[in-house]
Amino acid sequence: MAAPLTATAPARPRKLLASRKTRVGILYALPVVVYLLVLFVYPIFSTLLLSLQNADGSLTLHWYVESLTGVNLAVLITTLRISAETALFSLVFGFVLANAITRLKPLWAALAMLIVVVPHFISALVRTYGWIIMLGDKGLVNESLAWAPGAPLQLLYNELGVVIGTTSMMLPYTVLLLYGVMRGVDRRLLAAAASMGAGRVTIFRRVYLPLVAPGLASAGLLSFILSLGYYITPALMGGPNQTMIATLINQQVTKESQWNGAAAQGVILLLLTLAGLLLVKAVTSLGASRKKRSAS
Amino acid sequence: MMELRKTLAGRIALTTVATVILLFLALPIAVILVTSFSNNAFASFPPDAWTLNWYKALFADGSKWPAALSLSALVAALSTVFSLIIGVTAATALTRSELPLRSAVYALVLGPLVIPQIVTALGLFLLFEPAAMLGSPIAIALGHTVLASPIAVLILIATLRGIDERLEDAAASMGAGRLTIARKITFPLAAPGMIAAAIFSFITSFDEFYISQFLSSVDTVTLPVQVYNSLTFEIDPSVTAVSAILIAFAILALGLVALARWIGSGRQEPLLSVETATGIATPGGEAV
Repeated sequence: MAAPLTATAPARPRKLLASRKTRVGILYALPVVVYLLVLFVYPIFSTLLLSLQNADGSLTLHWYVESLTGVNLAVLITTLRISAETALFSLVFGFVLANAITRLKPLWAALAMLIVVVPHFISALVRTYGWIIMLGDKGLVNESLAWAPGAPLQLLYNELGVVIGTTSMMLPYTVLLLYGVMRGVDRRLLAAAASMGAGRVTIFRRVYLPLVAPGLASAGLLSFILSLGYYITPALMGGPNQTMIATLINQQVTKESQWNGAAAQGVILLLLTLAGLLLVKAVTSLGASRKKRSAS
Repeated sequence: MMELRKTLAGRIALTTVATVILLFLALPIAVILVTSFSNNAFASFPPDAWTLNWYKALFADGSKWPAALSLSALVAALSTVFSLIIGVTAATALTRSELPLRSAVYALVLGPLVIPQIVTALGLFLLFEPAAMLGSPIAIALGHTVLASPIAVLILIATLRGIDERLEDAAASMGAGRLTIARKITFPLAAPGMIAAAIFSFITSFDEFYISQFLSSVDTVTLPVQVYNSLTFEIDPSVTAVSAILIAFAILALGLVALARWIGSGRQEPLLSVETATGIATPGGEAV
């Protein structure tokens, strides 16, 4: 072919093509970028601004001081406590269930995953209502525990009720995450440990747990972060002592028209979430490097 | 694959624990379905008599449910349209072009999914309140699109990545224009993914609570806000029937997505197998 003649020619159309592809890309990316900048990024920035402003528009940290003292501080601590309890329980249950599913026969595993995934697509409000019906004085749980001392048990409008509710909302996330991590564990490593005489407990503690630890950490952190901003379940299943930060934000906006305070609490919630996400990222990259080492 | 030895006791313990945790997830849903047909709509289980009264009460005179339902349907339909427009363009940009700042755009898309929804809702409230748009279905739909469009984008990115670009290139090499390629090749293959994106956008908007609550007014109350109000303020037994309908609706929607996937699953392979069978497969022999 006449390759020497057209030696420079192919470069040019390719460059043209590349710039055309770039232009098309920018054109097509425009709707999502503009939309989210106007309706997502800008509103969050104006929230941030509002949280730093006095009534007359001057800068102040007053709203943050208010958010971090007295009753508001108690609410923040409650939020952190309930989120930690939720993360712990959804992690433990999620670990046990995901582990069980990896050992089930494919058909049963698929059925179990269906039961995990489908509730996730049903409104959290509706599922919370289901718990309220179940945990009431005459609900399914108390009816079947009628023989127990102290029945009917108080399972609603206290912290137990809230944690039961939020745990069931977070469980699909932890199960799905941990299931993915556990499927990725090389079973030959466990078999190798067994062949060298390690017992079940030793294999679990020394081989299996270190391999899934990063997954456990990120699943726990994720359900902690997601619980922080939770509103529906604590508001409906908790009592006055289970007021969480989202409930407070909602009250300040809809009842007290105290927007600056709500904005400051929103920013605090946002910062906590971002800190958690950074931790998740650090844990994930740690896990990736560890996996590489164990594979080599 | 080598496995550790399994004991019978271990197997029984495993099955029991797994069943209990699965019940923990499934029972609250099953309980609503059963209770919605029960004589006593409040927290008595199992029911002693059956009735359809709660379903009939939904459409009785003075019931607030039909208005809430139609508002939610309108808002969800609007945000499905918005999300699909944003989703198709953004997914095309992210999979079929050379985009500068690609990872920044991707991070922006993921943002609404990881930021607490109450913060997003608060921001939207601060945006729409001065514009006197509280209670406007358009405002609620625009707000819901912030949450629904990232889901549509992610689903459509996965869909477009699953379509072999060689099919589009082949059509182009035979002289097909961009529109013809989109209409005859990409669209038919992407249809199941677009149906999934539409359904998930619709559900996201239909079930959304935080933004709706902040942006609704006394006259415009979406279905989830009405459910929340009847659980906190006014005790309305019909809420059980509404909840049961919402559950049925979600399961139906998931079934539709599965059906669309199943119908669409066999479409691409025949096209590609013809290509390989006639011996014009990829020059570099890349694996599909």
